[in-house]
Amino acid sequence: MGKAKIKIDKHLFDKIKRYASLAGYASPEEFITHCLEREVAKLDEAETEEEIKKKLKGLGYIS
Amino acid sequence: MKRREFLELTLVATLGSLARPSFIYGRGQKETPIKVLVLGMDGLDPNIVSRLIKKGHLPHFERIIARGGLAPLGTSIPPQSPVAWANFITGLDPSGHGLFDFIHRDPENYLPVFSGTLSEEPKKKINLGPWVLPLQGGKIKLMRQGKAFWQILEEHDIPSVISRMPSNYPPAETSQRTLSGMGTPDIMGSYGIFNYYTTEPGEINPDIGGGRIHQVYVIGHQVEATLPGPVNTFRRDQPEATVDFKVYLDPINPVAKIVIGKEEFILKEKEWSGWRRVHFPLMPGKSISGICQFYLKEVRPHFKLYVSAVHIDPSNPALPICTPPGYSRELVAQLGLFHTKGLPADTSALDNHVLSEEEFLHQDNGFLEESLAMLEFELKRFSSGLLFFYISSTDQRQHMFWRLTDPEHPSYDPQLARFFGGEIERIYVQMDELLARIEKYIDSRTIVIIMSDHGFNPFARGFNLNTWLFETGYHKLRNPWVKDKGSLFEYTDWSRTKAYGLGLNGLYINLKGRESQGIVNPGAEYENLVRELAQRLESIIDPVTGKRPIYRAYITREIYHGPYLDRGPDIILGFNWGYRISWGSPLGKFPADIIETNQQKWSGDHMGAAELIPGTLIANRKIIHPAPSLTDVTATIIDLFGLRIPVEMKGRPVLKIT
Repeated sequence: MGKAKIKIDKHLFDKIKRYASLAGYASPEEFITHCLEREVAKLDEAETEEEIKKKLKGLGYIS
Repeated sequence: MKRREFLELTLVATLGSLARPSFIYGRGQKETPIKVLVLGMDGLDPNIVSRLIKKGHLPHFERIIARGGLAPLGTSIPPQSPVAWANFITGLDPSGHGLFDFIHRDPENYLPVFSGTLSEEPKKKINLGPWVLPLQGGKIKLMRQGKAFWQILEEHDIPSVISRMPSNYPPAETSQRTLSGMGTPDIMGSYGIFNYYTTEPGEINPDIGGGRIHQVYVIGHQVEATLPGPVNTFRRDQPEATVDFKVYLDPINPVAKIVIGKEEFILKEKEWSGWRRVHFPLMPGKSISGICQFYLKEVRPHFKLYVSAVHIDPSNPALPICTPPGYSRELVAQLGLFHTKGLPADTSALDNHVLSEEEFLHQDNGFLEESLAMLEFELKRFSSGLLFFYISSTDQRQHMFWRLTDPEHPSYDPQLARFFGGEIERIYVQMDELLARIEKYIDSRTIVIIMSDHGFNPFARGFNLNTWLFETGYHKLRNPWVKDKGSLFEYTDWSRTKAYGLGLNGLYINLKGRESQGIVNPGAEYENLVRELAQRLESIIDPVTGKRPIYRAYITREIYHGPYLDRGPDIILGFNWGYRISWGSPLGKFPADIIETNQQKWSGDHMGAAELIPGTLIANRKIIHPAPSLTDVTATIIDLFGLRIPVEMKGRPVLKIT
């Protein structure tokens, strides 16, 4: 799997390092990846909800 | 189906159609001594039929009934079309065929899912620059369980043609001729999204369901616009595939020329284009084809152009809409292009004032005429076996025009009623004219069955199930002051919530071991809660009318016992006459009032208790059972052809054959 770099505010990164360690993550990267995966999953679900609303609105039974 | 999955699914559809010869019909060649013609008229109400017969408006219905009979036809619980037609298709109840509502829920995340189909994205893809190439097709799966009655006929070599059957998308596997009906999406993967181009966008609410409003500008007698299509999953960034088009306005006359792709046509103001093909480019050498209708509503002072939902092109279907794969092409070759979206009438455009009543009727009459031409085409070659043909206009007209038949309805408009107050009667008369038109194809061997899935009643008041659950403490919110904001159940505190409403008739218990954050224990706690809720729901009184909005709260486990019980709700609401679920509640909203007035044009409905809104059974043979139901019609068909009725089927034969 390919890797990509992103820039992050130093002050925030220091906090992430601290909380990653406290929460038992192996590294700040693992913590960040976990958080982002969780947020992306939420967006995926939100899209499903929007999609189903659009489809049903075409049917006429909901607004 | 997610729109982004749409194109991935087209690949497998295309490969499938290449793999099988187009015009070869398999089993189903037997000459049968009788022919069975079943006309499915969605929402045909037995009381309205009887009333119009008494007035002498339905002479052809009357003639058939005189030879056979008319009976109310027991509908499904709930009486939603996908559920009811699935009862008929399989001879099973919802716990046997697995469809309880238009919408089910995923107990893992409480999100709504479509009950009828399941889409799976391709598992293997490769990335190539900006492109993503699927190495396998995705899958689209019919979620209805149980064998369709025409599959049973096929096993015994009895031919059948099944045209536009609801709850049969993608079509059940068969080598007989079938065309999918209600549930078939448009090219966006939705149930229908129209586009409206206007220089006066402020007149329409931009956030309407079922349509998109586009602001355009007239510059030098030209309008440039874009027609949106499906999400292009061949690109990494997954943009919408689009087609640009131009409209050239005549500087003097109310006439315009529209140029879109290879299509070029002239429309006068208030003129419809008929079907036009559009091709959405996906990647070099690959595009997807759809068909749509243009309507030039106004040229000046404001430019207004309506474009219908883009239907799957039946001459080159991107998704499986028929069996065998070449059947829709054969129909196009014989009859020209035709609508393929499950319910073609644009109720959203009418509800949102994009189309007027007259324009809506003009378009829907065109769809009806397409259907009748297809029916006649099939009747001409109907020599043996069974022909089923479905008509949606009866249902859609009653949804949209009930308000103009009843001065007590909150959406009644006396001005409109002068012109359109007779539209419901008119569609019943149109069905009578249909019977006149096909009379010549009905010989002494032909058994005619006319049936509907449910009846109709007014929708004057809407019940907010989730608001009621919240107010009574069964549903807890973390932030009650923003209860109607956010996405579905965003503010729900599942750790304290016992029940939630989703879909058009469904109440679910937040059951431990089934729902991911369930708190109600199975067993006595569950049983007691369900009973308590059912009793409380049935005792609610609408303070405005003094009536009970919920006529019956059916406890699902008491009425059904089949293997797919867990797909359905724990309580199915059967609304009283005049009531329905509210507009917001089916997708988890919490509007302010528990009961609200319906002021939409969508003013008739059929979410009631099954005993209040039966469908219709008419036959040219005597009906020997006083209270037939949908599953009895299935058993009757099997029996008419001399076959053994499968033990799992619920029904029994109800026609007397002499």
